[in-house]
Amino acid sequence: MFDLVSLSVRNIFRNRRRTIITVFSIVVGFSAMACFGGFIEFSFEGLRETTIRTRLGHLQIYADGYSQHRVSDPESVLISEPDEVMAHIAKLPGVAAVTPRLSFSGLGSTGRTTVNVSVIGVDPEGEEEFADFETLVAGRPLEPGDPEGGLIGEELRNGLGAEVGDWVTVLTTSFGGIINAVDFRVAGVVRTGSKEYDSVFVKVPIELAQRAKETAEVERIVVLLDDTDDLSALQPRIEEVLSMFDDEFETRRWDELAGFYDAVVALYTGIFTVFAGIVGVVVMFSVANTMTMAVFERTGEIGALRAIGARRSTLVAMFLIEGVGVGLLGAGLGVVASWLIAGAVQATGGIAMPPPPGMSQGFQAYFSLTGDVLRNAFAVTVAATLVSAVYPAYAASRIRIVEALQQ
Amino acid sequence: MGVISLRAVSKSYPSADARLEVLRGVDLEIDAGEFVAAIGPSGSGKSTLLNLIGGLDHPDSGTIRIDGLDLGGRDDRTLAAIRNKKLGFVFQSFHLIPVLTAAENVAWPLVLKGMERRSRAARATELLERVGLAGHLHRTPGRLSGGQRQRVAIARALACRPKIILADEPTGNLDAVTAAGIMELFASLNREEGVTFVVSTHDPMVVSHAGRRLQLTEGTLRDTSRERPLHEDLPHV
Repeated sequence: MFDLVSLSVRNIFRNRRRTIITVFSIVVGFSAMACFGGFIEFSFEGLRETTIRTRLGHLQIYADGYSQHRVSDPESVLISEPDEVMAHIAKLPGVAAVTPRLSFSGLGSTGRTTVNVSVIGVDPEGEEEFADFETLVAGRPLEPGDPEGGLIGEELRNGLGAEVGDWVTVLTTSFGGIINAVDFRVAGVVRTGSKEYDSVFVKVPIELAQRAKETAEVERIVVLLDDTDDLSALQPRIEEVLSMFDDEFETRRWDELAGFYDAVVALYTGIFTVFAGIVGVVVMFSVANTMTMAVFERTGEIGALRAIGARRSTLVAMFLIEGVGVGLLGAGLGVVASWLIAGAVQATGGIAMPPPPGMSQGFQAYFSLTGDVLRNAFAVTVAATLVSAVYPAYAASRIRIVEALQQ
Repeated sequence: MGVISLRAVSKSYPSADARLEVLRGVDLEIDAGEFVAAIGPSGSGKSTLLNLIGGLDHPDSGTIRIDGLDLGGRDDRTLAAIRNKKLGFVFQSFHLIPVLTAAENVAWPLVLKGMERRSRAARATELLERVGLAGHLHRTPGRLSGGQRQRVAIARALACRPKIILADEPTGNLDAVTAAGIMELFASLNREEGVTFVVSTHDPMVVSHAGRRLQLTEGTLRDTSRERPLHEDLPHV
């Protein structure tokens, strides 16, 4: 086998100009695939972290039965004494923040205009970590010791016609079914990145939200980790802490709650699959052309090898190894080229992208060349070269020896 | 039975009008250690005869036996093994692998046979020394003259210690002096190692080395060496 591989490798470099052109086309195809895959990976990372750090956290803890009764009887599935639970979870290494939340929908009014709002009550002390992806466009963030201050989304500010310092009244229904109203003063205006979310976003101290819903309890506890990759390891430990309490809890990971993220991942993955397929076909034709030329040029040698005792299968193996060898060479150089391109993009500050659909801000794009991205591009490239070598290899093995020796 | 035995072998090829019959019911026995020249004008079927004996092509009808083995109905794997172990081929155009050195070219039949690396390197060296190329082991064919390439091809043909060497116009691309050297080598291998040679040729000098001459005319084969002296055969070469 080693001798066959050695012969095939030498044959690859026999017609150097043609091999260089073929390898170059593979490198271009590989780099396009890896960079596009890296761009998508970067987009996934950005969307994932935005989703986690502005809204969901990594893990949400609810009272047992929340998923069943949160609509029909939300008051029965509130967490009554969250402080001790939060204190225990906050001690775990890798946990960045633990904070309670109570959210509800209502109507927000400045007296002039009334619009729908989605209110989220938070503990300002535990929110600093969550503010990473919120851009403050006016005023200041929530601060401990300001029980009447609140943040609103940029689009909601436009809808209400409210400015920093204005009072906004929120009308909602308490858990007891009584219509209730609370007031907050606009302390700041933020941009979360999502236009839709910005148009209803209200963030107030949790005490204000509890007053509106006439409860002393919280709806959920949100846990934020230092690193998203630690979630699988930390979730069992958090659940172990929860099991120490008399009350029972249920937990949800961020990816179980982020339907939008899943939809985006599915869409982009589909687009990438089509793109990779197109690149694979281009690579296949390039290598198939090279291999077919090699078979034509080496017909006499094929005859001689058969005459001295080579089986058809030996010739098939020889040409398949050549095809895969060209693919491996192209893919290997493609990895280097992709790293250089990604490095150049990094060094020049990224590629300026317009705001995605439904988002309010553009962003600087980079190529995240993760192991998975490079592995996928490698697999597609090598598979394409292997497939493209099949027919030339088969044709070489079927040439009649007598005719081959006449070349 | 000889080391090569043909019974009623016929072979034809499609042509513009009808099938062209190249061999018509040929019978032939060649004993081990013979040196046989197949002679005749171009298109008389000399190469076809060698191709059939070598298992490179199949007859339309008839039986071909090599060292007692019937080539008929054998699969690709078996025929490849027979060619590898029992036969050696020398071609007019040498057909060496240009990316391999002389020693590697000679060793390739041994690779296909499955011999381990060190043994085949030793065998290739021994054979290249035998054909007078001891100083050219690591040269690729592109750096060898025509005569040297043909010597490498002969060494390759001998690699698996075959009983028979089939040489199709082996001196066709060589000058007279080089051709004479190659034929001297053939003669000594035949004489000293008992290898059976079947050579197709137009070259009177090659014919002069043969112990037996087979004249091919219009698809039939006639052993002329027992009918007339060599000098009478030469105009027919």
